Amino acid sequence: MRTPPWLTVLDDTIAACIAHHRADLAGKLERRRALLLDPKLRVPVIGELNQGKSQLVNALVNAPVCAVGDDATTTIPTTVEHAETPTASVVADVPVTGRRAIGPAGAEPARVAVPFAEVATKALVTRRTDVHTEVGVPRELLAGGLVLIDTPGLGGGPVRTAATFAALANADAVLVISDATHELRPAELDLIRQVVALCPTVTVVLTKIDMVPRWRRVADRNRARLAAAGLDVELVAVSASVRLAAARTGDQDLNRESGFVELVAALRRDVLGQGEALASRCTAALAAMVTRQLLEPLREQLAQARGGTLGAAQVQYRAAQGHLDELRKRSGRWQTMLGDEVADLMSDVEYDLRERTRQIIRTAEEFFEVADPARTWDEFADWLRESLADTAEANFAWLVERFQWVSEKIARQVALEESIPDASAAEDLFEHIGDLRAPRVEKFTVGQQLFVGLRGSYGGLLMFGLATTLAGMPLINPISIGAGAAFGAKSVWDERGSRLKRRQATAKSAAQRHVDDFFLSYGKESRDTARLIQRRLRDHFSSVVERVQAGIAERAVEAKRAAEADLADRRRRTQEIAAEVDKLVGLDKRIQALTSPTPRPGLTA
Amino acid sequence: MTLAGRVRSMLVEALELYRDSPRATNWLRRHVDRLDEPLRVAVVGLASTGRSTLVNALVGEEIAPLLVEDGGQVLTWYRAGRSPRAQLYPTQAPPRDVPAAKVDHQLHIDLEGWQAQNLDRIVVDWPNRVLRDSTLIDTPALESTPDVGSRVSMDADAVLYLMRHLHETDLGFLRSIQDHPIARETPVNALVVLSRADEVGGGRIDALTSARRIARRYRGDPALASLCQNVVAVSGLLAATGATMTAEEFDALRELAAAPRQDLESCLFSTDRFAGESAPVRVDARTRVALLDRFGLFGVRLATTLVRQGHASAGDLATDLVARSGVLELRESLAQCFTDRHDVLKARSALLAMEVVLRREPRPAARALVDALEGVVTSAHEFRELRLLAALHGGRTTLPDPLAGEARRLVGGNGTALPARLGLVGEPSGQELHGAVADALLRWREQAENHALGHGQRRAARVVVRSCEGMYTRLSRY
Repeated sequence: MRTPPWLTVLDDTIAACIAHHRADLAGKLERRRALLLDPKLRVPVIGELNQGKSQLVNALVNAPVCAVGDDATTTIPTTVEHAETPTASVVADVPVTGRRAIGPAGAEPARVAVPFAEVATKALVTRRTDVHTEVGVPRELLAGGLVLIDTPGLGGGPVRTAATFAALANADAVLVISDATHELRPAELDLIRQVVALCPTVTVVLTKIDMVPRWRRVADRNRARLAAAGLDVELVAVSASVRLAAARTGDQDLNRESGFVELVAALRRDVLGQGEALASRCTAALAAMVTRQLLEPLREQLAQARGGTLGAAQVQYRAAQGHLDELRKRSGRWQTMLGDEVADLMSDVEYDLRERTRQIIRTAEEFFEVADPARTWDEFADWLRESLADTAEANFAWLVERFQWVSEKIARQVALEESIPDASAAEDLFEHIGDLRAPRVEKFTVGQQLFVGLRGSYGGLLMFGLATTLAGMPLINPISIGAGAAFGAKSVWDERGSRLKRRQATAKSAAQRHVDDFFLSYGKESRDTARLIQRRLRDHFSSVVERVQAGIAERAVEAKRAAEADLADRRRRTQEIAAEVDKLVGLDKRIQALTSPTPRPGLTA
Repeated sequence: MTLAGRVRSMLVEALELYRDSPRATNWLRRHVDRLDEPLRVAVVGLASTGRSTLVNALVGEEIAPLLVEDGGQVLTWYRAGRSPRAQLYPTQAPPRDVPAAKVDHQLHIDLEGWQAQNLDRIVVDWPNRVLRDSTLIDTPALESTPDVGSRVSMDADAVLYLMRHLHETDLGFLRSIQDHPIARETPVNALVVLSRADEVGGGRIDALTSARRIARRYRGDPALASLCQNVVAVSGLLAATGATMTAEEFDALRELAAAPRQDLESCLFSTDRFAGESAPVRVDARTRVALLDRFGLFGVRLATTLVRQGHASAGDLATDLVARSGVLELRESLAQCFTDRHDVLKARSALLAMEVVLRREPRPAARALVDALEGVVTSAHEFRELRLLAALHGGRTTLPDPLAGEARRLVGGNGTALPARLGLVGEPSGQELHGAVADALLRWREQAENHALGHGQRRAARVVVRSCEGMYTRLSRY
């Protein structure tokens, strides 16, 4: 026998599932494959609670095989199929585990036969949820392999809902039941949508039309709702109670009124003997769903790979590049800044020094206006040395402080957490002060005093002696001697004062010279130190920046390499995924071809 | 102070506290006024559960549904009023009156040009005795308007929830209306109605009996019992039609009943047969279609059977139909669970409203009010009684057999009037009442100390003792 096309497509889909590591989907499809190859045609009857599902099955086979009641009644599924004689049994469900298919390989499920007449009540009393009942009845409708499956109503709890969906998964065609006392609810439309996705051959059955006067309007509006929802399914209106009454009385008119004639005709036309077509459509729906599930993550990956978002490597590379540029820009800036700052600093420091030394000189001059250097020089020298030392210290401390500040500022500018070099190059400040040479101080000795006194008294003696000679007195007389003594004393006095003045001037100039010397030598040293520190700072920061730049550059290179590798990898992966997607799309086309060549033989055909 | 009094004074306090917030003031003032209004009962359910029919059945007149131009429905309030009046509340405009009139117990109203999405609600004033006890709110189908649930839990004091069988969706909704801290503490404001009971089992003649059996089963369902106070099966159609049956209708029914039994039965197989031209009865097809609309297939079956069994007058038949429809049980349940507990339910709504304000606009000064609110919710004896009732109902607390029934009765499970609580029938004298209360008090004091009972059971007994003490004080005041 020729392999039907749907089987090849199904097998290819299973292969695709395995290739994409979706063993779960493959298992589902394999189970489905076994059932599709089975000549039986499974038609579950599903719907919300209390819509008349069981009664519909009973009316279809004209036998009370399913329990019916006013409350939610059906708790376990019942399968109804053809048998030579009426049989009934309660069968334990085979647990579905992994990919193992239900089939001849599995052990025969536990089966307990029950009397046919009691099957409905037996199903009613069982508390178990992991069993179902199987009923065989001799009916011509079922002889073609039709299996009707009555299911628990939806909305009655998760266990029952699961049983219903399990029945749905094995369906070749589905009857969805909704009663005529209400129009299709959103939840029911959703259900039909779900069912169509799993198994496209669906008929909606409107039940209980016997008790609704305006059921034709409900039917029309339901058809409109189905059409509005884009669901191309047929709707048949029936009344099970009228059909059962017809069966009881043998009234053919009643049977026609029940609507079951149309329902049976629809089943014969669209389900019975349509095994291949049904299998083909089921496969198409299922395989399309599975390929969609396979395609979805692939497409996502593809979209991602095509560069919707950057890879981590690329992000790093960009970050490193940006960092490097920033650093370069900053390094130009920090050098200028260092130059400017140091120039400012040096002028400030010099000014400070000058200011301080000038103050010292002024104090010294004031001091020597009164003091006699001969007597106070030592004391003065001590003071001067101390003041200069203070000045040097303060000035240098300031210098160091300013440098600290500058380096911090630059460090901030470079924005690095690097240590700041120690600017306090501990120079020996005091060597610049040097020895204060004492000014030469003329001593006014006794001999000198005597000499000056004599020289002064000589003039006075002579002056007054000559004057008194005119009065007849000898040159040397008491007057002239007195005058000589007075003159001598005065000149000694004068001489002493002028000598003090001279000494003070000398001391002043000595002090000034000394301070100038200090200013010169210390100032030079200070500038040198500043320059030294500046150089040291420059070297330090250049090296730091270089090191950092080198690190970042290295990282950038690495990142670049990684990004390139990533890109290549991505390109390769993109190609791979695209190939996979193409393969699946090809499969999907074949799946669609399963249904398209012949116009869909829907229940409406 | 009674619960209602406490809640009122809390509302006043809140008004004082929030006097600078116009929104809160407006909201609180509305709820102060609401305390004095009749109870608001919302009729809620999925599509085609018979909400409007039930409103008609309860009122006994044809006033629902009010359908706007596009066939949609909006929240419709039916209030007691001296004369018929209808006010529309558009969403974007001030309310306005529309012409409304009462003709033959029917509401005629002009909704020309209005669409459901433009209307917030319609308020109908209608002269009717039933509405004096409770304002009824007819709602659009739950699945068609998503915010019905939240509107109902804010606007209504109590809910009549309609369902045709217990579906998961129904449980979900019942849970959602109690999804609030205070509502959870006091799950006392819902009744479930098993609606369209006449259609159970395809409208068999015993449909209503079967529906009552199903309602009983639901009452014992733990999932449902903890969410509602009671489950009642009602055929709204039968009740509404019974209340408004005309003489012509009765005549037609009598004519039908006079037909040979075989003929009538065969034409009552289905609506198609009954309404068809060829039915072998002497009532013309138009009348038959009208009868179907008013009674339903089951109603016609039941009514003709009753007529054949000897209901000679329209009044007799109407009374019997209404009695069988289950609406009387529903009214009784409404009275017992809602109108008797008017004050408690009103207080509950006010507490919910106050909680909204305290939560949305928290302020330090309101701290004391928040504590007071919590205190009332957890300690008010009225709530405790209802909580105990719900616990006994839902099986969270179980008492040994004779005690359980008595406890339920004493805390007001069969009605809050003194005789109902004490299980006395007729008009007991003051002395009898005194004796019964004293007896109950003594016995339950013993139970409260009974160490054979568990901790939860003794706590339940203490609630009963407190109820007995309350009754004692009430009695000695006379």
